Amino acid sequence: MATAHLETTIAPEKIAAMYLQYEVEQFYTHEAALLDHQRFEEWVDLFTDDTAYFMPIRRTVPRRNLSREFTQPGEMAFFDDDKATLVGRVQKLGTGTAWAEDPPSRTRHLVTNVRIIEDLGTELTVETCFHLYRTRLKSEIDEWIGRREDVLRRTEEGFRIARRDIYLDQTVLLSQNLSNFF
Amino acid sequence: MTIEAPGTTAHLESLVNVATGELDRRIFSDEEIFELEMQHIFGRAWLFLCHETQIPKKGDFFEAPMGKDNVLVVRQRDRSIKALLNTCTHRGNAVCRAEEGNVRNFMCTYHGWTFGLDGELVGVPGMSDFYRDELDRTKHPLRKVAQLDNYKGFIFATMDPQAPPLLEFLGRTGRIAIDLLAERGDIEARPGVQKFTLNCNWKFTADNAFDYYHPQITHISAQAVGMIPSADVNDTGGAKTDEGKALGVQRLPTDLDTLVALGEYGHAISGPSLDSMLRTLPPEMHELVTWRRNPGPLAALGPVGSRFAGHPHLFPTAWFTMDAQISLRVPRSAGVTEVWWFSFKDRNESPEEQKAQLGRQIHSFGPAGFLEQEDGENWSQSTAQTRGGASRDIPQLLKMGLGRGKIIHEDGVARIEAPVNEHAQLWTYLSWLAWVKGTSWDELRSATTPGDYI
Ligand code: FES
Ligand SMILES: [Fe+2]
Repeated sequence: MATAHLETTIAPEKIAAMYLQYEVEQFYTHEAALLDHQRFEEWVDLFTDDTAYFMPIRRTVPRRNLSREFTQPGEMAFFDDDKATLVGRVQKLGTGTAWAEDPPSRTRHLVTNVRIIEDLGTELTVETCFHLYRTRLKSEIDEWIGRREDVLRRTEEGFRIARRDIYLDQTVLLSQNLSNFF
Repeated sequence: MTIEAPGTTAHLESLVNVATGELDRRIFSDEEIFELEMQHIFGRAWLFLCHETQIPKKGDFFEAPMGKDNVLVVRQRDRSIKALLNTCTHRGNAVCRAEEGNVRNFMCTYHGWTFGLDGELVGVPGMSDFYRDELDRTKHPLRKVAQLDNYKGFIFATMDPQAPPLLEFLGRTGRIAIDLLAERGDIEARPGVQKFTLNCNWKFTADNAFDYYHPQITHISAQAVGMIPSADVNDTGGAKTDEGKALGVQRLPTDLDTLVALGEYGHAISGPSLDSMLRTLPPEMHELVTWRRNPGPLAALGPVGSRFAGHPHLFPTAWFTMDAQISLRVPRSAGVTEVWWFSFKDRNESPEEQKAQLGRQIHSFGPAGFLEQEDGENWSQSTAQTRGGASRDIPQLLKMGLGRGKIIHEDGVARIEAPVNEHAQLWTYLSWLAWVKGTSWDELRSATTPGDYI
């Protein structure tokens, strides 16, 4: 009976939007699980071959200079990777001699506030907020909170990340490295 | 440890033993020594603040650290540059709380005192009603650094009015260090300074600039994925994994052909020779270092300076990399150091070359760099262990090549030719000792003038 009620009161496009939201959120939950289980080779497969993975530098600037807060592509950044570079990072972790990650850090990627900004059919623009919690060695804690803006491409295998821009809520980084993925 | 009354420095002598190549590990965590460093090194030395292209327009500013002081480097209306202490002359509040930006003036948000770009006090709220016009505004400008100078676009300042001029402080070795970047072409700072925080003493970051012994181990994973070239020489010295297997260490191909330059006041250069670098780099990368032989750069660098591929380090904290970056190590406390990466491009290069270089800069160093992720770990763990009562009694060793550093004096440069060694690190600490003793500039200079051996 409940189904019948839904069908009569919720417009089909709303159901479609809910389903899309569900699919996108499932994708991010899956992605976070791959990272937190250190399944980096599977994780990097979620990126298209023409992907761009970019984390600009954020600066504390006066309010009237806010347009200069983040560096732009072509300027300095923390990450400015193509697929080959991302794969290189994964390979480096797989060498068994990437000492910054041995003993491995423990991470938890919490991904929330999933907003589908635009749906162009083959590609979606999706904004998410994240909280990456990391502990290292005996007593080190790092936390990064920020916002990601992704372009998700629809492929036969499901969504693939065609672009990821990562905006950290820190200017001077409070941690000694960024040896993890965002 | 106990620091005796000012004027007695005998207790400091034992911290650095140049003859045995041993250091007292207390220098990496002792708070009183840190305070001496703040006073005698960071309160006196010429320090790199920023590059002039970071503040091209009038009103542009960049906040730079000088010891525990914060300084605003400001482009003036007449295009000159001033460096002002970021502290209100009324009651001390910071007059600017941003890292960089563009302003018309600096207004203190405590009581509203307002300072021009030149630091002059131009506005005092309540000047007639509260101060009854009895305050002499001309007496309370933002304070300036004692001396400011610009070497080929690189801005330096010192808090010591007695300090020798910048050119003399740099000396031949220091000028070569900067020329190895400045002479590369028409240099411009790329927007964005990477800044990150390490739980380590600043000296670990500083002496590591010369350390060509560590890449083959520390950066072995970066080597394995092709980020740094390796020789076909397997180092059989005995590094074994925790399962007891040989680690399979490959030396850097440049390791047996390195050059060291030791300079007055503690500056030094140490790393691969240009020739050995050329044998290592693929032909398409040769331009990374061969520009040194072009007429302009060659004239500035001279016959000796042009033979270096890297790594120059200006005492106390500025490392110039081979690929147009400066890593400034900013001491925040005995156990906390920020690393600030300034990155440059050559305006004469093609957009493709500039882009390729940007990629190398982002992917090598910085907190996410393929190389530097691992460096911070070494330095923070080394620092942590110097806090243990028993651990800090173990000497810190700089014995590699000890006593074999025959110094050749030519073209104003004191150089050593040797395989990988620890001469430049030892030079850094020998000079460090002379600095922390707080001696006169003349004594400091003579104590840091290279002789015939190290
Ligand atoms: S402290 Fe700056 S105006 Fe009072
Ligand atoms: Fe290193």
